[in-house]
Amino acid sequence: MNQKNIDYIIELSNELRWQIGDDFHDNLTESIYADAANIVKDTVQVDNSKKRFRLDSKIDKIVTSKTFGFPIMFLILGLVLWLTIVGANYPSSLLASLLLDNMHPILKSGAASIGTPWWLDGFLIDGVYLAVAWVIAVMLPPMAIFFPMFTLLEDFGYLPRVAFNLDSLFKKSGAHGKQALTMSMGFGCNAAGVVATRIIDSPRERLIAIITNNFSLCNGRWPTQILIATIFIGAVVPGSYSSIVSLLAVIGVAVLGMGFMFGVSWALSKTLLKGEVSTFNLELPPYRPPRFWKTIYTSLIDRTAIVLWRAIVFAAPAGAVIWLISNIYVGNESIAEWTINSLDSFGFLLGLNGVILLAYIVAIPANEIVIPTILMLTVLVTGIDSGAGAGVMFELDSMNATGDILRAGGWTLLTAINLMLFSLLHNPCSTTIYTIYKETKSTKWTVFASIMPVILGFIVTFLVAQVWRIIF
Amino acid sequence: MNNYNPISALLIFFVFVVLLFIFFRPVKGWFWILRKHFKNNEKTIIEDVLKQLYHFEYSSNKVDMKTLVQVLDYKNASIVEAINKMTINNLIYFESDILKLSEAGRDYALRIVRVHRLWERYLAEKTGFSKTEWHDRAEMMEHKLSHDETNTLAARLGNPKFDPHGDPIPTKTGKMADVIGVELPLLPINTIGRITHIEDEPEIIYKQILAENIHIGSLLRVVENNSTRIVFQSEGEEFKLAPIVAANLTVAAIEKEVVIEDNIARLSSLNENEMARIIGISKESRGESRRRLLDLGFVKGAKISIDMMNPLGEPHAYLIKGTSIALRKDQAAKILIKKSYEYKS
Repeated sequence: MNQKNIDYIIELSNELRWQIGDDFHDNLTESIYADAANIVKDTVQVDNSKKRFRLDSKIDKIVTSKTFGFPIMFLILGLVLWLTIVGANYPSSLLASLLLDNMHPILKSGAASIGTPWWLDGFLIDGVYLAVAWVIAVMLPPMAIFFPMFTLLEDFGYLPRVAFNLDSLFKKSGAHGKQALTMSMGFGCNAAGVVATRIIDSPRERLIAIITNNFSLCNGRWPTQILIATIFIGAVVPGSYSSIVSLLAVIGVAVLGMGFMFGVSWALSKTLLKGEVSTFNLELPPYRPPRFWKTIYTSLIDRTAIVLWRAIVFAAPAGAVIWLISNIYVGNESIAEWTINSLDSFGFLLGLNGVILLAYIVAIPANEIVIPTILMLTVLVTGIDSGAGAGVMFELDSMNATGDILRAGGWTLLTAINLMLFSLLHNPCSTTIYTIYKETKSTKWTVFASIMPVILGFIVTFLVAQVWRIIF
Repeated sequence: MNNYNPISALLIFFVFVVLLFIFFRPVKGWFWILRKHFKNNEKTIIEDVLKQLYHFEYSSNKVDMKTLVQVLDYKNASIVEAINKMTINNLIYFESDILKLSEAGRDYALRIVRVHRLWERYLAEKTGFSKTEWHDRAEMMEHKLSHDETNTLAARLGNPKFDPHGDPIPTKTGKMADVIGVELPLLPINTIGRITHIEDEPEIIYKQILAENIHIGSLLRVVENNSTRIVFQSEGEEFKLAPIVAANLTVAAIEKEVVIEDNIARLSSLNENEMARIIGISKESRGESRRRLLDLGFVKGAKISIDMMNPLGEPHAYLIKGTSIALRKDQAAKILIKKSYEYKS
């Protein structure tokens, strides 16, 4: 074929394409779909589906009804959270007494008996081992309770109905109804919540869900909130109300987190993300009896084990760093003291202090070790007689004793409130950051999702602190 | 440090926030204005002049310097300078005081128009920007894309003939399809026609058309046409427009005795317990959303009914091919159905 012929054919094809017009491709696709549908209708026989469908639509009528839809939803989600937080206490304290109270001294004395130098056993046992043990003790039980329950609901088919009920709320902030699910998942663990955004198939809404998942108070932060609220906020009111007031304070922080989630979602969809493709559809699968054991198994392996493993991987070096900064001296101050002193004035401006800021820096790998780190550092800088030595994290059994240490560190009610706010609004833990990177494959969005909440946290705590100081 | 004044700290903070806002607020922020100002180089002005002249020529209007200076948003001196340069380069010439495009100038103008409309098409198909932003973004892009980039873009979009508003896209060689139809106010009562073009300028009127949920490609029947308002029925709904708004719609009257199905409606108007068949998906549903709908079985001839009403009003769940799929109102408005009068048992 010579060049002239080829040119002629190309010219002809262009001409024909022009004549066929724009709609041709669309019409072709649509008729293929329609033909396929016809073939299915002729060949596939459906039987017995009617009876099952009746039951389905009866359940649907109830769970999406105006009267019962929302109460049922809050009841179920509340129950799941309550079971997680309360139910996790017992296995957590069991693990803590095993790993922290018993294993730790055994390891120490074992190391001493074979003559390990103090810095090596401090680094390995007080630093690395303690951080890992802490993360396991605090993190494993709630996850092992929360994820299976959540997966069972998912498997049963209830969760898509929640997304269905709530979609118009989320639509107002430019998000997808399924974000309700990833947000609830975030109450268990933000890293798992970020993975769960895979169910959102629209690129813009998925990014929104990933970036705002951190505003769900995760399992690692619930205990901090509850502890601080009980010690400081519950103490403001008469004893008989204290437990209810501190509970309300914690719920308030969680609700505030949802508020930030909606607000930031809205802002993102109107500014940075407005160019991303946005689609919507939500399939409501038929209900089916959950496959109980399979669900338990997969949720333990797929969610709990993976997240726990990532957390351990990140917690080990964090433990090492905590021990090192408290035990390496530059001049006659340890690195920790030096950093705390230089962060103190900035911390004061935010209604916090240097200890808290340093604790949040070294505890980026896991929110679970924030309180033990704060206690250890407070003892370190105040020099009061408590705790287990420089670089050894600890927690106290009695809330009063914990409160005494914190007050000795200069804590006021403002510090407590701002700590609760900052615990809600700060960078995601490193496991979550890593997961965000894995899911978005984008450095830009990972950096944004990590920095944006801290800046929000600074702004909010700053404002609260100034207003507080003006009023009181 | 610990005895600073919280009031002054707050003040400093708010001044800082206000400054940030003044500099970086969308569109009107000083930062964006300055950036735009520095980018208005000669090339941009020349291209904008050419484009304006082309649009005047296309609508068979004559234009002199005065009109041109009025429609363009540049300093008069820079426009005069650009015009001088263009006359020297034989892009334009004067016939007494009327400005005319030379052959070379028209080619150049068509290239700019081509990029503009292709980019609007790209924004519609491949991104999530809202309709109101398409025009401004295309205005910026038309000065940026090179010839080769434009051709690659056109090929990626499948060499489309029309932009999302129904304006024809010139080909590489400058060929252009015709827009069939006349302005809506020119149609007599009871004419049946199809909307072939929705003008996106000026923005105020375009926003009104968008707010009315008028879709390109839909069939309509003129019900009332006088100097105060124009009323037409389309897809089971009635629209009332002021003539100035209606003039931005181009409608091709359907001459042949086509049987128009009277009970075409939008899926959004389906009630509980009603059954319907899908007629098609409106042209307004584009790109990824359209493909999703097709994937899920929203194809011509499929039976559809409401499965679940939402407690908050939207989205409703529709039962299609034995599956329950929830769609939001704006999506359902883009699916055309024919209601059948059998009721769901």
